[in-house]
Formats: sequence, C-alpha cells, structure tokens
Amino acid sequence: MKEKSNTQKLKLGIFVIAGLVLFIIGVYLIGNQQSMFGSTIRLYASFQNINGLKTGNNVRFSGLTIGTVKSIDMLNDSMLIVGMAIDKSSATHIHKGATAAIGTDGLVGNMIINIIAGKNQTTTVEEGDTLTSFRKLNTDEMLSTLNVTNENAALLTADLLKITRAINAGQGPFATLINDKAAAADISQALQNFRQTSYAALKIMQHTDQLVLSLNDSKGLVGLAKDSTTSNHIRNVAANLDKTSNNLNVAVKDLQLTINEIRNGKGTLNYLVNDTSLAIKVDTTMGKLDMTLDQLHEAGIKLNENLEALKHNFLFRGYFKKLEKEKAKVTGNR
Amino acid sequence: MKSILIEIGELSYFAGRFFREAFKRPFEYREFLRQCYNMGNRSFLLVGITGFIIGLVFTLQSRPTLQEFGAVSWMPSMVGISIIREIGPIITALICAGRIGSGIGAELGSMRVTEQIDAMDVSGTNPFKYLVVTRILATTLMLPILVVLSDAIALYGSYLVENLKGDVSFQLYFNEVFGSLEFGDVVPSTIKSFFFGFAIGLVGCFKGYTCGKGTEGVGRAANAAVVYTSMVLFILDFLAVLVSDIFYDL
Repeated sequence: MKEKSNTQKLKLGIFVIAGLVLFIIGVYLIGNQQSMFGSTIRLYASFQNINGLKTGNNVRFSGLTIGTVKSIDMLNDSMLIVGMAIDKSSATHIHKGATAAIGTDGLVGNMIINIIAGKNQTTTVEEGDTLTSFRKLNTDEMLSTLNVTNENAALLTADLLKITRAINAGQGPFATLINDKAAAADISQALQNFRQTSYAALKIMQHTDQLVLSLNDSKGLVGLAKDSTTSNHIRNVAANLDKTSNNLNVAVKDLQLTINEIRNGKGTLNYLVNDTSLAIKVDTTMGKLDMTLDQLHEAGIKLNENLEALKHNFLFRGYFKKLEKEKAKVTGNR
Repeated sequence: MKSILIEIGELSYFAGRFFREAFKRPFEYREFLRQCYNMGNRSFLLVGITGFIIGLVFTLQSRPTLQEFGAVSWMPSMVGISIIREIGPIITALICAGRIGSGIGAELGSMRVTEQIDAMDVSGTNPFKYLVVTRILATTLMLPILVVLSDAIALYGSYLVENLKGDVSFQLYFNEVFGSLEFGDVVPSTIKSFFFGFAIGLVGCFKGYTCGKGTEGVGRAANAAVVYTSMVLFILDFLAVLVSDIFYDL
C-alpha cells in the first residue's frame, strides 16, 4: 500500500512539475517578448498625436523588436511623452540622431513605435534621452485629403453635367460642331486627309529609316567610314590630296609670278608673245621653209626615178641580185 | 424559484464551511494527495486528448477562412489567444466537470446513502474535512495544471496542422503564439482556472454530500453535479471576462 502511495506521489509530482514548468516557460516567453527580463534603458519621444498607442506596444529598430512602450504621459495640451524600455544591448546601436515614428504592425495590426537610424553616427543614446519624433500621415488625415478630392470630383462632375446638358440642348459652339452635318463632313474629310498625310509621313519615315540603315550598313557610307581599312585609305587619300593641293598652290603662285613677269615685259616669252615684228619674221621664215620643203619633195621624186633607172643598169644589176639572194637565204634559215 | 434560492443559500453555507474547515488543523494531507492524483493524473489523458483534438479541429476549421483573406500567417496568433484565453480553460473545466464533478457527486452520494459519512462522524473523523475539503482543494489546484497542459497540447496539435498544411517551423509558430500573447491573456485565464476548479469541487461535493435517500439520490446527485457545475462554469467565465476587462483592458 505504501509502495503504491509512493508511486502515486511520484506521478503526481511529475504531473505538477510538468504543469508548472510549462506555465513558467510560457510566462517567461511572454515576458521576454515584452522586454520584462534582462536589463533595459529608458528612452523618451514626444508626439503631438499618439494615434491610439498603448503601453505594452512594441518598439522596433530597423524592423527588429527591441523594446516596449512603458509609459504615456501628457506633457501639455499638445504634447505627449512616450517612455520606452529598450533592450540595453540593442540600445548600443541607436545613435542620438535617431527619430521615433508611430506606425502600425501591418495594415490593421497593433500600433508600434519605429525608431529610424539618424545621420549623426557619433554617440549612442543613453538612459533618459529623448528622441526626435517624426510625424507620419495617419489614416484620418489621408481620409480627410481623400474627402477634399472627392468634393472636388463632385464639383467637376456637376460642371461636366452642365456642359453636356448644354451640348444636348444645342447651345454653344460644341453643340453646333456636333449637330452641324457640314462641319461633321469637313471634320471627316480633314480626318481622311490627316490619315493620308500620316500614311505618307509614315512612308517617308520608313524610307528615311531604310536610308539611315543603309548608311549604317557596312556597304554604306557610314559603314565604310567605320571600316578601319577604308577609313585609312580615305585618310591617306585626303593627306595626298592635301599635299597635292599645297603643291598646286605653290605652282599656281609660281605661275602667277611668271604671268606677272610676262605682263611686266620681263623674259623671252613676253618677247615672243608681245613682239609683232618677230611674229611677221617667223611667218616669213615659215613660208620660205614651206617652199624649200616643196622643192626638196620634188627633188626626192626625181632622185627615186634616177635610182630606179640605176637598178636596171647592167653595171649595178649584179649587185642588186646578190642582195636579193642573201635576203632570200636569211628568210629560208628562219 | 424558491428552491433555487434555497439551493444557492445552502451552497453558500457549504462554501463558508469549507473555508472554515480548510484553515483548521489537522490537515488531511494523504487524502489530499490521493485526490490530487485521482483528479490530476487520471484526468490528464482525457484532457490531453481533448486538447489535442481541439487544437487540430480549431486550426483545420479556421484555416480556409483565413486563407481566403490571405491571413494564414495570423493563425498562430489567433489560435494562441483563443486557446490560452478561453477555449483551453473552459473545455478543460467542462471535461473535468463531467469526469471529476460527477465522480465526486456519485462517490460522496453513495457514501451518504450507505451512511459511511455518518459512521465517520460517529468515529470522530471529521467527514467534511476528510472528504470535502481535500477534494475541493485538489480540484482547485489540479485544474490550472490541467489547463496549462491542455493548452500546450492544443497548441502543439494546431502546430501539427499548420506544419502539414503550410510550411511553418516549430520555432516560428511558437514565436508567433507567444509574440501575440500578453500577461493580460495569461493571468486572467490562470486565475479563472482556479475558480473553475473550486467550482467543480464545491458543486460536486455539495451535491454528493447533500445527496437524497436511495440509489436514485446517488444518480441524481451525480447528474446534478455535472449540470450545475457546467452552468456555474459558464457564469464564472462570464464574470471572469468582465473582471479581466476592467483590470487588463482587453
């Protein structure tokens, strides 16, 4: 009986301890989430509107939960001061220039305080420091803005309604434009013209495009210019052309100088060009030379006749036959 | 109506007598431990299975609705708050009301019918102290432990469903659960569990101790113990919510 009782006590002890351990673990985990255990430092931030923030709400730094809201006190009629318990190890990463903003956890979640890292990276926050607060646009303000937009939209639609009613009633230039058949035909014609023009413009654009493409092509001008060999050739040609033009320039200058000298009566050419008596003398000489040549021609003819007669002379016939035979022999050897 | 008021009056006297006897020596330590074992350890299997199924079913039923809103990631928070704050304590208490309350009613009722209680009185043993005080104290202390274990098992059942249907790790699930819980959820439900345990023991003992004559009276006592306890549990739950609302701003 006593053994049984001891077993029962043991089982009961295990049961109770299991329950208590689970309860303590649960309490610890919840407390840990709310920064109840471990050392913390107290930071403050002042807000004009805390948007329903409550004590116990989370404080996040770069998205990481580092503490909870511990106190909310009203400083004056337009300022509330929020006390936050921040995990000491996390607080070493928060610098004095950091700002605190009230936000929501998700779209419809609890309110939270987001601490945003500041530009002043020199000193870290200390116990009792007050962070500068950043005011976000809240839902009420957004709805208020949306309300103004809605009112404007209502006014706009009312005005639009007036205009459409006037048009339907045939009042104003728009109504005339809509109801006048001739104007409609004109507009239709204008549209047709516009369509044709746009089609033509499109064609031109296509041609231009093709042209640009062909220019860019390796066979086109731009392509050739892009080709290194061709461009080198062109460069050489251009250099040669440059040299030639320089030489030509020099030659032209010389020619100009010569012409000027000729004009000024210097040199032989001037004498040849400008002296008329010399020209007459040359002309006379040329006439005489022409006559001499005629006489020479006649003399040549007569000499040929004499030579022919000489061939048939018996004194020279043998010599000419000997020449013919040698000639024939040379031809036969070849 | 009159009989109900008389019943309530008698129950109040009975409760008053319990408080008087509970702080008087000698204390029936052995009987108290035996009752703790009977009510705690022996109820654990039933409570554990119920809790596990509650966790499974609750998650399976809620999942499609949350999925429609794309809020499946909120499942651990929702299940955690629901089970810890309300479902765990009340379901465990109702199970215990059925098992322990009826057991106490039937046991004490049969002792009353068979005049064992009178015999104890005659033999110099205080039957109230021995039978009632030990049982009420045992239920009062054991029920919170059963609730904690039941909550843990229910959350584990819920995690199993989430892990099978979705892709949630054990660590993430329980981080989400404890991340969404606050002391305002745990403390009222724990305090409530003590009251539930006290109510189960008190009503069960009252019905058994004041049992009518004959075997019919024993049956009636057992039945009344379950019915009245269940009703008292819901009333207490409602009062607990009202009180915790005042103190914890739920």
